Parts: sequence; structure tokens; C-alpha cells
Amino acid sequence: MKLVVLKNNLKDGLNAVERASSENSNLPILKNVLIKTFNNKIQLSATNLELAITKFIFGKIIEEGSLTVPLNTLLTITNNINNEKINLESENNVLTFKTDNYEAKIQGLPEEEFPIIPKLENTDNYLQLSSEILKSSLLKVINSIQLSEIRPEIGGVLLDFQMTNLKLVGTDSFRLAEKTITERDFKSNFSKGFKIILPLKTAQEILRIMNGETISVFNDANQVLFKNEELEVISRLISGNYPDYEQIIPKLMETEIILEREHLISAVKLVSTFSNKTNDIKGVLKEGKKSLEVYSSNQYLGENRYLVPVKSKGPGFEVAFNWRYLMDGLKNLEAKEIVLGINGDVRPAVLKNPNDPSYFYILMPIKGS
Amino acid sequence: MDFEQLWQTALGEIELQISRPNYLTWLKHSKLVDKQEGIALVSLPNNFAKEWVENKYQKIILSALRNLDDSTKKIQFTVNNRPVQLNSSRKGRPDPKATQLIFEELKVDPETNLNPRYILNSFIVGKSNELAYAAAAAVVEEIGRKYNPLFIYGGVGLGKTHLIQGIGNEIKNKYQNNVRVKYVPSEKFTNDVIAGIRNKRMEDMKEKYRNVDVLIIDDIQFISGKEATEEEFFHTFNTLYENNKQIIISSDRPPKFLPTLHERLQSRFEGGMKADVGYPDYELRLAILKTKLQERGEELPENILELIANKIQKNLRELEGVLNQAIFHKHARNNITLKVVEEIVEETIQQPTKNINPNQVIKAVADYFQVSPNDLVGRCRQKSIVGPRQIAMYLLREILGLSYPDIGQKLGKRDHTTAIYAFTKLSEEINRNQDLNQKVIAIKDLVYKE
Repeated sequence: MKLVVLKNNLKDGLNAVERASSENSNLPILKNVLIKTFNNKIQLSATNLELAITKFIFGKIIEEGSLTVPLNTLLTITNNINNEKINLESENNVLTFKTDNYEAKIQGLPEEEFPIIPKLENTDNYLQLSSEILKSSLLKVINSIQLSEIRPEIGGVLLDFQMTNLKLVGTDSFRLAEKTITERDFKSNFSKGFKIILPLKTAQEILRIMNGETISVFNDANQVLFKNEELEVISRLISGNYPDYEQIIPKLMETEIILEREHLISAVKLVSTFSNKTNDIKGVLKEGKKSLEVYSSNQYLGENRYLVPVKSKGPGFEVAFNWRYLMDGLKNLEAKEIVLGINGDVRPAVLKNPNDPSYFYILMPIKGS
Repeated sequence: MDFEQLWQTALGEIELQISRPNYLTWLKHSKLVDKQEGIALVSLPNNFAKEWVENKYQKIILSALRNLDDSTKKIQFTVNNRPVQLNSSRKGRPDPKATQLIFEELKVDPETNLNPRYILNSFIVGKSNELAYAAAAAVVEEIGRKYNPLFIYGGVGLGKTHLIQGIGNEIKNKYQNNVRVKYVPSEKFTNDVIAGIRNKRMEDMKEKYRNVDVLIIDDIQFISGKEATEEEFFHTFNTLYENNKQIIISSDRPPKFLPTLHERLQSRFEGGMKADVGYPDYELRLAILKTKLQERGEELPENILELIANKIQKNLRELEGVLNQAIFHKHARNNITLKVVEEIVEETIQQPTKNINPNQVIKAVADYFQVSPNDLVGRCRQKSIVGPRQIAMYLLREILGLSYPDIGQKLGKRDHTTAIYAFTKLSEEINRNQDLNQKVIAIKDLVYKE
């Protein structure tokens, strides 16, 4: 194999695949990146056997071939050289990395020992949407997810495709976020809906590296493929059934208050300074009053309160939340004015944009404070 | 030789031919799952393993299997997509977020929809529910044969859901994964029908409900009047019934009092076993309180328990609610007195009466019995009018707490003793006569709905 590539191209390519590689004592080759010529492009691939990322970059191909070398080593030297052009040449499992004034020889392993990246059984049916929409939607649900050993099936994003809409759901059992992408924003030729659970790590990688105009999504029983012109992310799916989360969504709201989002964010930020280890802050609305009192106290530090003007409907309340969870929800919304629906101090509260039914964030209170 | 032995022996041979790390990475969790007409089906833990083994070890595996069994001609590979099992037994785990509440619904097993909290063993049996419990226990023993369908009915908060979910959980534990159980509140069933119509996935929905051995439907009264749902349920019911699958149904009233339910469904419900869950008597209530306390490792003085058991008579959920509040007070103030508990009880018993006026109650009674409200408040003393009038008197007292003279006045300028007589008579009769009880519940529904 003999190639000439630009530093930035190689750097971008290695950065894109970097997080898919892994340390594995049984299979040390997993920390390598596969470099291969393919259809006049240079293919870079890395995998940890759960997730595989392939990126195609441009370069001048003088001689076809392939080799795998340790990804970190290659990335470090690529990041630190000053030259634009890089010559890569492989011979007897050694990769020679050469610029005008620098030369390295990296010990590699042949492609034959590198895992074969699986193919999907069926790529006839696709779902296509813009990467911006997919990423902005993922971003709104991903911070509600935490990996859990006891409940692996909620350690990922639920993609619930229902022909006329696509729902993205994330939860850690304390809060839950749902974003709906409507028909307008995707194209698909699936003849029926599907439900898959995308591992958190895969979702994070998609957020990090996906770009370009359109992403196509393909899936079979236990894999999913996200693809555009230059990137392919193939990942295992989490097996098991996602819980029937719809039961959690409150149908009615006891008290509804409308308030400015930025105002509540500053209130939470400020007041949380005094909250204790459980991160609790309290919201108090007195019947008929026009402001929400945000309050927290700590026996060592003292206490503080902040008044946020609100428009309210329904009885007064006193309820405590983990301020970090509340903040996550507030940040996921973009609207200037938002609705906060409260259902007493033991049932879930709802955060949403009054003008946008496609997203909501619900969270459970903290009890007994 | 069974599959497992055969595969273990073959693996022994394969292990010699490939390197140790490769063996551990790709073949350690493999299994021989099927073998028919010379084709062996080997399952592997993930797609990477499948690609790798298919491309690199096909020949080695084939010859190893052939050495043991020369009928093997071909090997196929599959990915073992084992559903994740819910692990609900880790109770002792210290929870750092003890005060952060969680979505209880997420504990529900997504496969069966059952909440592991409800088990038959914790169902407390007394006179009012022993028939229902016995029927439930019989269903667990002989699924689909003895009592099919099993129809459990009774008022709000008396333990219907506990009982039917308990049956589901018991069956699941007893027969492990050999019996497929599905629990569904009828509202969810309706939503599934709607989603099925909207997403053109009606087949999925049919398959989901017809592909079970035990179907448990909660609060069936909510499907009555929803035509497409009733139709779909009717077919599901028939399919399951004809295949001797167990069907368990709960409702707040007996089949014949489900007003708008289609006759063909009513008669099917009547065909199986019906059992009611009645109002618990004092002893049962006290026993329930004591069990709940024990579950929580708490203690409360006997006289407080007696007070609660005495006052909260018609709803076990309220009973538990009051108990929870009493425990909370005990911890918060380090002290609990009879007086505090009395206040809690008073608060709980009070009904929401805000927007209901006496005329609405009278109208609801008249509508239910299809008589004119004028007759009810008139002087007529026909039997067909007197009965409803007494019920109206009872309800005016029970829902609105009107004074007896006031009630007498409103219903035809009668003496207050007439009202007292009607109220006492009905209060007693309601506990004995299930039929009357159902009527009163139905009328109350009408009142609150308006």
C-alpha cells in the first residue's frame, strides 16, 4: 500500500473512528485502526466488537493495499507534525509514515487478523433524515440516560418508528424525555414500524461525528447502521423490551405555571448553591400568588430564596426536585416561555414548550424534605 | 448425545486448532442450538463473531462436527439475541438516592406488563374476598381449563388489580417461561388498537395479544362503548378461548351491569367463573393494616390501628394512604397521637363535593331508573318510585351530607324521619346486597361525571 494524504484529512478520519477502538487483552488488535484502499478512497475503520466506525477520506492512492496499526500512535504523530503532506507506505506489516523532515516506522498487523465488520442482512428499507434534526433530537433526550447494570434496556435511546412519526425516548427512571420527529422531517420506505434501543455510547458517537446533509438509517434484528457519504456507524442494539413508558406520562396537570425559562434557569443556578448532598431545591407556589418561590437550605450554610414571576392555573404547591435534573430539562427546551406542570409532591412534573407539542421532559420529585 | 455434549466435544477439538485468544473471543459463548437434515445451527453472541467464524472457522467446525457425527453436511450461524432478563431480586442494594422518587411504572416487566410488587402470597384473604382468591388459586393450578374466563369484580380500591396481577406473577414463577402471560389495563388495549389503526400495524397488535397463554385485562368497563376496541377484544377473546387459553378479567361491576357492553361479550363473560371482591370487614381491614406495617418494619399503637380500621371502610387504597401518613407523622414529629390520626382520617373521608348540587343527584337517580325527576320529588307512592326515592335520599346524605330535614324537604316535603329511615335502611342493605351496591356505584359515577 502506498498513499499520500493531507494531514487534516487523516486527522479528521482518525478522530472520527477513534472512540470505537478499545483495549482488549484477548484481542489486542482492537486498539488498531484499519487503513485500506477502497474505491479510490482511503477507508479507516475501528471497532470494539459492539460498535464499528468507518470513515472514508480522500488521498492519492499510488498502490492498493491494507494494514492495521495502533490508532493512538498514529493519531498522536499526525496531530503533532507541521507538514501538510504525509506519505504512508506499508511493507511486511510495517507502516512507514513520512513527511519532508520526519519519518516513523509503526509496527502493524495484517488486515486478516482484524475483525470483519458485519453487514446488515437487509439494506432495502431505509429511514432518511437530516443529520441536524437527528442530532438536535438526540441531544434533547440523551442527558436523561444513565448506564445501568440492573436495567440494561434503559441504558440506551429508544427509537420508536411509527410510520407517521419517529419518537426518541431516554430515561434513567428518575426523569424521562421524549422527542417526536414528524413525517415532514424524514423519508422512509419501511412498510411497518419498528422499535429499537440504541446503546448510549453509539448515540454519543453519532452526536460527536455525524455531519453532512442526510443520514440514512438501516436496521435488522440486532444491528443498526447510520450512514452518509463518508461515514458508516454500525452498532449492536440493546436486546430486550423497552418499558412501556407511556403509562408514566401525566395526562392532566394539577397546577400549570407559565414562566420565563431563562429566569428559572438563573433561579435554579443561584439557589442551588445552598442545596445539600441530595441536590434538592424546593419550589413553592402559594394559592393565588403571582410568583414561584425557589428555595434551598443547608444546616451548615444557611438558606436562600428567589422569586420568579409566573402565570398560574390550579392550586398552590410545595415540591422538591433534584436541581441537576431540573436544570437538564430546562436546558433541553429552547423556548422563551415554558410550561411547568406540577402534580403534587409525589407524582411526576412536566416541563414543555407551550407552542411545541413535539417535546416534553418529566421528572420525579424528591420526597419528604 | 444431546446438542450440548456434542458441541462441547467438538469445541474441544476446535480449540486445538486455533489460538487461545481467538477461541476465547469468538467461540467461548457459542452454542449448538439445532440440527436437522445435516444442517447444524450454531449461535454466537454477536454479529462480529458471526462474520468472523463464518469466514474463518467454517471448515474447522464442519470437520470437527463431522468427526463426531458424519451426517453433518453444512453449518449455519445465527446471532443469539437473548432478551435481557429483568433482575428484580436485588432488593438489599443500598440506594444512595433514597429520597429521590422514581417512576414506579418502569419496574413493570415489559414482557408481561406485570408489576412484580403484586404477589398472591401478600394478598390478605377474608370473608369478603375468599371466593375470588380461591378461584384465583385454582386458575394458577389449572390454566385455561377450570375457570375460563375468570371474571373478578368489585369496587374501587378493594384489591382487584392486586389479585389479578398476583395470578399473573404466580403463574410466571411457577411455570417459568413455559407459559406466556400478558397483563393489560383496558385503556392500554384501546391505545394499542388506536396505534394499530394509525400505524397500519394491526397485525402486530393482533399477534401481540393472541400469542399468549394467559391474558389478563384490567378494568374492562372502560372498553364498553368503544366499538372498534370491543370488536377487536371480542375476536381476541374468541381466539384465545377456542384455544383453551386462560382469560382473566376485572371490572368494577358484574357483566350484566356493564351498560353499553355488547351482548355477545356480556354473555361470554357470564359463561365462566364470576367472583366478587366485596368491602372488607373490620377484621380484614385490621389484618391488612398489620401486614402493611410489618412489610415496612414499622410499629404503631394498637388503638391507632383500630381507629383507622374502623373509620376507613370502603377503600383499601385510602386505608394504606392513611397508614402512610400516620407513619410519616410518627417520623417527622417523633410522636403520634390519636388526635392527629383522627384529623388525617377526617381529611381522607371527605368527598369532593364542590360542584355537585342536590338537583344533579336527583336527576342522576331519575335518569338511572328512567323515571321523571318530578315523580321523585312528588307524592307518588308506587313501588317503582319509592325505591329510587330512597336511594336519592341516601345519596343526598352520603355525597352532600345534607341534613335529614333538608333532604325530606327536597324530596316532596317529607318528614325528616322518612329520610332517616331511608338512609339507615340503605346503609345496611348496601353491605348485604351486591346488586344494590352496583346500582349505587353506577349512579355515583353518573353524578361525578356531570
